[in-house]
Amino acid sequence: MNAKKTITFSSIIIVVSLILSIAYGFITPISAQKKQVTLSAIVAEPKDRWDILFNSAQQKLREKHPDMDIKVDYRVLPYDATRTQILTAMAGRTPIDLVSVDQIWLGEFAQGGFLSDITDRAKTWGREKDWYQTNWDGGKYNGKLYGVWAWTDIRAMWYWKDLLNKAGINPDSLKTWDGYIAGAKQLNNALKGQGIQGMHLVGASHSPDMWYPYLWMLGGEIVKQKNSHPTKGTYWFPAYNSTAGIKALGFLKQQVGAGIRPQINHFWGQEFADKKFATMLEGSWLLGAFPHEKWSNLNQEIGMLPMFPVPSVGDKSATMIGGWILGIPETSQNKDLTWELLTTMVDPQVLTPMLQKEGYLPTQKPIGEGPYAAKLNASIPYYKEMISMIPIGHSRPNIPEYPRISDNIKQAIDEVYYGMKDPKQALDEAAAKSAKVLGW
Amino acid sequence: MFARAEPYLFLTPAFAILLIFLIFPVFWNVYISLHDVSLINIIKGWRYVAWENFIDLIEDPNFQTSLKVTLLFVAGSVALQFGAGLLISTLLNQKVRASGVLRAVFIIPWTISAVIAAFSFKFIFDSNFGILNYLFDKVGLQPVNWLSDPNMVIWSMVIANMWYGTPFTMLFLTAGIFSINPTIYEAAIIDGATKIKTFLHITLPLLKPFIVINLILITMWSVNFFDLQLVMTGGGPLFASTTASLYMYRQAFEFGLLSRGAAAGLVLVAINLVVAFIYIKLLRR
Repeated sequence: MNAKKTITFSSIIIVVSLILSIAYGFITPISAQKKQVTLSAIVAEPKDRWDILFNSAQQKLREKHPDMDIKVDYRVLPYDATRTQILTAMAGRTPIDLVSVDQIWLGEFAQGGFLSDITDRAKTWGREKDWYQTNWDGGKYNGKLYGVWAWTDIRAMWYWKDLLNKAGINPDSLKTWDGYIAGAKQLNNALKGQGIQGMHLVGASHSPDMWYPYLWMLGGEIVKQKNSHPTKGTYWFPAYNSTAGIKALGFLKQQVGAGIRPQINHFWGQEFADKKFATMLEGSWLLGAFPHEKWSNLNQEIGMLPMFPVPSVGDKSATMIGGWILGIPETSQNKDLTWELLTTMVDPQVLTPMLQKEGYLPTQKPIGEGPYAAKLNASIPYYKEMISMIPIGHSRPNIPEYPRISDNIKQAIDEVYYGMKDPKQALDEAAAKSAKVLGW
Repeated sequence: MFARAEPYLFLTPAFAILLIFLIFPVFWNVYISLHDVSLINIIKGWRYVAWENFIDLIEDPNFQTSLKVTLLFVAGSVALQFGAGLLISTLLNQKVRASGVLRAVFIIPWTISAVIAAFSFKFIFDSNFGILNYLFDKVGLQPVNWLSDPNMVIWSMVIANMWYGTPFTMLFLTAGIFSINPTIYEAAIIDGATKIKTFLHITLPLLKPFIVINLILITMWSVNFFDLQLVMTGGGPLFASTTASLYMYRQAFEFGLLSRGAAAGLVLVAINLVVAFIYIKLLRR
């Protein structure tokens, strides 16, 4: 009897549910029947910039597609974890729609077949000419486009005006190698016992990034193409142990000799903002270490030289540019819509407010030079000077082997920092290892 | 028939878990170490390379350095962790006021995440902003490059690891001390044994099984541990704090060389097995 009751009761519930769901289909307005699409993304910290970009782009995309309920589910990861997470996710065929790619990872990702070739899409889009050539080329690997470089950063020389004044140093004297060394000694003497060091020298894992500008300004290269590779015909070969490289590393050695201590911990400009260093060669993101309300008067307290010190007066300086590229993984199941999202995110109208708030530099001419430039210039301290450095900016090779080559160079720099080897020996040994990494 | 199979049926779930999560990964690791697998070609074909990864590994001077660094790190960490743990557990076993509270306080470091501990020590040892150099400066001592001197850095790591790992030894040996029959101590007191003699001739011998197991565990953990090194120095300067476990991690996840990382992992397993074998031999003596 009980079983009969249960069966009857269950049957009634099933029939009622069926009727209700069929009726719902007729009653529900078309607007509530929108096609649900969730785009997933993995991006690198800090989070604020992505909140601004994704919120704005998502809104625009929804307006463009009223028939769809579009959501962007983005995960923001620490820098170091981003590369590994993206690679493991893609190796495991996890469907991700959009990723932020550091410029130096692009070759590795493209070579592995993880990123979609967007060359044809970009041609149809027709905005290539809006990008600075270096930045557009940064998204290419083996002649194909795999990503769009969204924004960039430069490294420059920052100093506390009062501290240099106290040590009796004219900031212009720091423009040359000799002046920089003399300034370091002078500053260290003047600031003794105050817990402030004269100059900052990076000794952390990315120390090669702060050596490359000296290499480039002397005409050197990190790697160059060479014929007769055992398996690849023409391929990359380490070139950083050239005369230029040795001279550039010699300058770092001179800095250590002058009492500048390599800093194994790098706080990305916070140490400068905390006035632990009087002078620091650091990226444009250093501004972010200062509160926004201070930005309008920041140039009264800190100064900026848009250069790395040069060997002699009149020599052309160089700097390193980095930044983030947006790419679409091969595993994306919504490539068309993701492409729309990506192009919306780099639309000057969407991108400029983020750059303005975070202090990043544009990769597009309409933002760097066009009507948006005035907006950025008015709100970002030293914006004009930073933009003026883009033409002397170089980027690191985006070949798959780069992380290991960088590690070899880091070892050479450390060996020179700690007086274990002279620059030539250290660089030659590192280059031999890099050649092996490159398959020579 | 069913009665004979019954115990095996009960064992099946446990064995299945063991097979999936332990045995299969080990064999998979061996398989990867014999092929050329990197994050770049992971979704493409894998080439069989036999022992090439192991040969590359052994020939890599950085791996050789990492083995030396591991030896120093493990020896220093185990000696200090064990010494401090034994001392604290013995002292707390005396008639000390609030020994329970003190035990709880001493356990705090072990409850903290290794990464948080590493970040804390990174700031403590920082040559510019660190509290240690600040205190040195206050008493007129020269600052020490705790993390940036290649000769000093490994000892800074050992100190950090000692702080982090000692509570486990203390807790483990305290449990051992509690298991000793108190009447033995009473008999020793009646026989006129001093505290030192009681410790040497009663406590230590009766604690031997606990000591050996503790040594095996803290040695293996120290061999495999790389959180501190990764966060505090990233293995630098000049690989002076790159232990073999950190080397393995960097090869696999920083450079994407999964085969090389797998080969390094198997070398670590071998080291752990040798260490365990030696300790067990000592226990049986």
